[in-house]
Amino acid sequence: MDTKTLIKDAKARFSHNSAKAYLKEKYSSKLVIAEQGGLWKADAQTIGFLNSFSEETLVVIDTFDNPVKVDRIELLESLTKTYTKTMTEWNSEWKELERKR
Amino acid sequence: MERTRKKKIKSRGALLFAFNSSKYNYADMAVYTARRIETFLGIPTTLVTDVESVKTITADINTFDSIIEVEPDKSNIKEQTAWINKGRYQAYELSPYDETLLIDVDYLVNSDTLSKTFDLSDTFCCHSNTHMLMHPDASQEKMSAYSYDTLWATVIMFKKSERAKQIFDTLEMVQNNYDHYAHIHSFVGGVYRNDYGLTIALKIVNGHTDVPSDYIPWSLVHVGKNTSVYPNEDDVQVPCDGTLFDFNTEFTIMFDHWKKSKVRKEYMSIKDMDFHVMNKDLFVGIMNG
Repeated sequence: MDTKTLIKDAKARFSHNSAKAYLKEKYSSKLVIAEQGGLWKADAQTIGFLNSFSEETLVVIDTFDNPVKVDRIELLESLTKTYTKTMTEWNSEWKELERKR
Repeated sequence: MERTRKKKIKSRGALLFAFNSSKYNYADMAVYTARRIETFLGIPTTLVTDVESVKTITADINTFDSIIEVEPDKSNIKEQTAWINKGRYQAYELSPYDETLLIDVDYLVNSDTLSKTFDLSDTFCCHSNTHMLMHPDASQEKMSAYSYDTLWATVIMFKKSERAKQIFDTLEMVQNNYDHYAHIHSFVGGVYRNDYGLTIALKIVNGHTDVPSDYIPWSLVHVGKNTSVYPNEDDVQVPCDGTLFDFNTEFTIMFDHWKKSKVRKEYMSIKDMDFHVMNKDLFVGIMNG
């Protein structure tokens, strides 16, 4: 029996809350990258922080609470790239999920 | 003559422990998991097993990079049958790799996410947080009300190093004195759990503090109770008797939501996400399509 028939026969209801939480878990792991001797989360806060400076090198606290000296532009580029790719995928899967409402 | 020194390339691989019980063929599960590891993570797998279990997978023996036969410790009894989960501390000595992913055979690899763990630490890391599919608000498991949050031995990354050796040596010591630690941490001893053994061992090595880099910075995803998993497609072998596999990575998760003695079915779909299947019958069901 295919899963669509199974869902129909079981009169199962789509759980938006669980699906939303699953997406958050899945894409949170994709936002984590290791670079320049530190571990970083490509989130709005870190990207905004790096953007607010003009220095070439900067000491930033990484995910493990270690102060890491980084090439600011290089790290910003990597994090922005990871953020854009991951959030685009997240948004696309989220839209797919919303259609089930 | 000028001497040249080749830069040593560090070897990476996965290590699976599988010992058949009277109820389940764990070696068969290991074959399936090793194929998924090769497909999604691109690393070889070494199997640690016993003579009896290896006999059941003779046709699939080439799936593994190597097979290490050990004497199983059958002293752990769960539901009146031997549950051979002791001896996980041997992973450090037995692993032929410089950098190892030690994974439970009932962990379904559906993505390359675990590749990142090699960048997380120079010595050791494991999961400290869990996410229960269909139970997003489930609390984290504690060893007891008076003890630590449980750490998870389901996925461990370790690199050959003094510190990793120390952790596995301590795990052996905890296993050998499990009832003593059960008493100290106020949990029910008797049946040995690797998760509890690891939690205690890592805390001892770290002087009962937390070292953030020991923890994988995302959650271990579990399929919990009252929850079923159905593959949306079948796995495809390419060619039909070949060694390549096009694995399904999309699953429908169905949950029995009990309220006032009535059950309401809820579901969702997931794709490209690794998860741990605690219910072995469920894992066998996924494996067999």
